[in-house]
Amino acid sequence: MQDYREFIDEVLVDEKTIEKRVAELGSQISLAFAGQELLIVCLLRGGLTFTADLTRHLTIPHSLDCMSLSSYGVGRYASSGNVRVNLDLMTNIEGRNVVLVEDIVDSGRTLAHVLQMLKTREPRNLKVCVLLDKKYRREVPVEVDYVGFDVPDKYVFGYGIDIDEHYRNLRFIASADMKKYKKTP
Amino acid sequence: MQDYKDIIAEILIDEAALQKRVKELGIQISKDYEGKDLLLICILRGGIVFLVDLMRHITVPHQLDFMAVSSYGAGARQSGGSVRLALDLKTDIRSKDVLLVEDIVDSGNTIAYVLEFLQTRQPRSLKVCTLLDKEERRETLVPIHYRGFSIPNKFVFGYGLDLDEYYRNLPFIGVVDLKKYQTQV
Repeated sequence: MQDYREFIDEVLVDEKTIEKRVAELGSQISLAFAGQELLIVCLLRGGLTFTADLTRHLTIPHSLDCMSLSSYGVGRYASSGNVRVNLDLMTNIEGRNVVLVEDIVDSGRTLAHVLQMLKTREPRNLKVCVLLDKKYRREVPVEVDYVGFDVPDKYVFGYGIDIDEHYRNLRFIASADMKKYKKTP
Repeated sequence: MQDYKDIIAEILIDEAALQKRVKELGIQISKDYEGKDLLLICILRGGIVFLVDLMRHITVPHQLDFMAVSSYGAGARQSGGSVRLALDLKTDIRSKDVLLVEDIVDSGNTIAYVLEFLQTRQPRSLKVCTLLDKEERRETLVPIHYRGFSIPNKFVFGYGLDLDEYYRNLPFIGVVDLKKYQTQV
């Protein structure tokens, strides 16, 4: 595997800033749902680190569930926006307060689709919390209730976000110079 | 949901001790897997917090994947019955150095089954890292290569481990006072 220092473009969000912002989001969500209970839904796999840290800052009762999604088709055929559920929720969300936790939203297609799907199950409340928002890439309107950081339209990695399945464990979020990046064979 | 302070009998492992031990495990794993092709596998959902923290202390290249298992029928996991794969790995583990990351091993039945199942796919190596080991409860022999803490046969919660889906976000491992704890309806 290539050392990230060989292809890093810049550190977009450093460790301290992430920690501070994640704590703020935790307090904000706790406040918004004060006196109620929550179900946190983590979208695997990118959202995992963010979810684990975010929940440690929640001060209200909550449970955790995970979903794993992929899109139908490959490459340009993936654009229908239909989403395949690899792992569905174990929890019945009817009547529950649900916060969907995602690492990054760009086109918004996957998120819009998942929200639509989950709404058919009639949760009391369905909110979205994303660590990173690539607003310039949005193709479909999606209401995002909690945003960690707005990021430019660059290839980002670290803090749960991978490049070819690596670098998820970095404590910061960086952009990659993909001209310098070499995929591990 | 009851406040954890109303149901806790004792703090078994505090936050500082957890963080110190997780770091030690990360350093040890990084040494042992130098130059190898490490794949961390997390069995959802209990292992998530441990995995996220552990991963941040692993300095060698590694990938991450998930499995979700459930039992066939009630009590099957307890009785050593087969385990149903709710979510299979995305990664082909053939020739990979696989490390299964678990929150707790007690009877060992589920993990023994998962190991046997993964072995059929011929990984180069297959090892187990568990945060907690309740050896007293063991019914099936499980080789444990990395162990956070050996613990007595007590009902524990926190740091990823739930009580009826709650309390996963506590930063320590506590013991439940079962006389005081009321199961959620």
